[in-house]
Amino acid sequence: MYRQGVKAKPDWPEGWWFLGLLYYESHSFNEGRQAFTEFTKLEEKAPAGWAYLGLCEFEAGEYESALTHLDRAIASGARPDPDVEQVLRFHHALLLTRGGFFDQARQELQPFVQRGIRDPVLIAGLGLNALEMRLVPQEAAAQRSLVEGAGQTVYSWIAGDSSQAEAGFRSLLAAFPSTPGIHYLYATYLLAVRPEAMNGELQRELEVNPANTRARAALALRLARAGDAAAALPLARKAVEERPDLAAAQYAYGVALTEAGTSHDAIEHLEAAVRLDPANLAHHTALATAYSEAGWYERARLERAESIRMARESRGPG
Amino acid sequence: MVRANLAAGYLALAAIGFSAEPVAGKFTCGTCHRAEAQTQPKTAMGIGMELAPHQTVLQAHPKLTLERKGYTYTIERNGDQSTYTISDATGKFTLPIRYAFGVRTQTFVLEYQGRFYESMVSYYANTGGLGATVGDGKIEPHNLVEAMGRETPDTEINACFGCHSSDALTNGKLTLDSIQPGLSCEHCHAGAKAHMEGLEAGKPAPLPKKLDRLNAEQMSQFCGQCHRTWDDIVKLRQFGEVNIRFQPYRLANSRCFVGDDPRIRCTACHNPHADPVRESAPYDHNCLACHSQGAPPVAGEGVPPAKTCPVAQEKCSSCHMPKMKLPAGPMMFSDHQIRIVHPGDPYPN
Repeated sequence: MYRQGVKAKPDWPEGWWFLGLLYYESHSFNEGRQAFTEFTKLEEKAPAGWAYLGLCEFEAGEYESALTHLDRAIASGARPDPDVEQVLRFHHALLLTRGGFFDQARQELQPFVQRGIRDPVLIAGLGLNALEMRLVPQEAAAQRSLVEGAGQTVYSWIAGDSSQAEAGFRSLLAAFPSTPGIHYLYATYLLAVRPEAMNGELQRELEVNPANTRARAALALRLARAGDAAAALPLARKAVEERPDLAAAQYAYGVALTEAGTSHDAIEHLEAAVRLDPANLAHHTALATAYSEAGWYERARLERAESIRMARESRGPG
Repeated sequence: MVRANLAAGYLALAAIGFSAEPVAGKFTCGTCHRAEAQTQPKTAMGIGMELAPHQTVLQAHPKLTLERKGYTYTIERNGDQSTYTISDATGKFTLPIRYAFGVRTQTFVLEYQGRFYESMVSYYANTGGLGATVGDGKIEPHNLVEAMGRETPDTEINACFGCHSSDALTNGKLTLDSIQPGLSCEHCHAGAKAHMEGLEAGKPAPLPKKLDRLNAEQMSQFCGQCHRTWDDIVKLRQFGEVNIRFQPYRLANSRCFVGDDPRIRCTACHNPHADPVRESAPYDHNCLACHSQGAPPVAGEGVPPAKTCPVAQEKCSSCHMPKMKLPAGPMMFSDHQIRIVHPGDPYPN
């Protein structure tokens, strides 16, 4: 009936909307995508239209445009039905991982674990995110045991089940000792529980995966924080050369240069870290300290004030 | 040849009347740094903590008790042992106090079933009795173990021992068999041991890093490793009066804190080899180093000129660094956020 309706009256938005929903519910995603494309042409301010268009595209394997349209649904600010929003957020997180926006994706995935949802696609999504594999679960069938193992382990970690998380890491390391990403993932876990063991895991990651710039930056930061600027500097410099767009690399280099007593040189990199990831409080506090050490009085005061404002307005310890 | 290499070190020894010949086993830091070696071990930082059986605070107070939140706390001295007993209507248990942290005010680190706990009550010198441990006052215990103390994660317990003792950590792990209470020279002057060993062996001895070359910001970072840095407090979000005890944080928020000016660094006012002076007047010359006619201006981008005080030229800190009580305990601290304090102003930061 809706098909006939929109044929007779192509500017009928409700017709395209309900037609699209029927296609989506019956898993006819290509047809659903066409219906929601027409709907969004007529009702471009309706976030639910962009949400369903993105979801249909996701299921049809059109991941780039799916991310664009789910981004648009979220950016519109209006909130669709809570159930739709959960589905929207979940698929958005999967697409963010595929797009390489791992940190942002992690933040969107965590609430699902905290709500106690235990779903195989969520587990796979967590695994892909943790291993920083730019795939959605449907594309990762060949690495299923690795991705599932990582996902289960990260699930336990986020859920606060440390004994399960430890056991998961032991299994992963035994089964995949040379797989890129596993040692780095374990190192990030160790930061909170056994920081003294973290450097060894980061070094093992770099042995099996020398291209892991995040691991290199993390190791440089650890060494700089421990006062070993001489060891930190070459690692951090290399990380910045490899990935100047990686805030963690710029931050590690800035901290290492500050530790080496060359705060004037550090400022350029800490400013870059703030530009690349302005929501990260640590970048601001490090920049404030570097300004202060260099004698840039007014900038130090401004950056300190900004850091305190951010800390007051954000969640965290204390 | 050996003497030529060691010229700098032995010139210092010769100047104070010691033999310039290397004599194995006879060098200590005090051989050259006599004044510091005499005073520093007697300071709060030099003592740091008291191990059983040498617990002078508990010896002087052989029985301390406190009733709190339905539990009774008793700290007793029996011979050369101190014990910490917690009881309620359901029972009681007693633990030995092996580690008493602090010199005047003391908090106890207790061991129970292989884990470390920060005692729920501490001894406060200015009341002469027990009170809730700072930071733990809001904890509502549900049983004797929870009432006994707060289980402390490894990172926190390492930090406790790392700042109150020496040689308690090896490669980031607790090695309590080698613990030495208080801060040894090596603790701040990394490389001091190697320096002495070099002298003993008659080999060139690398000098530890010169801490007097640190600027104000670098020194705040250095001292803040134990006293907490500005960065630590912001990240921990410890805002409000609870941060009065974290001097590097307070100082960095001062309008007169210029990171590269040594006149505002920690050691400009405090001698780390002596206990801090409690009176106000002895610090006046530090304030006047900037806030007086003819004082050298502060160099740096955007630094405002230091004004002279229209009210007084002495006891500056009594107005500009008011003493305040920590909200969760009886201890008083000088506010290191140096400022013009107006009556009724809210506590800044």
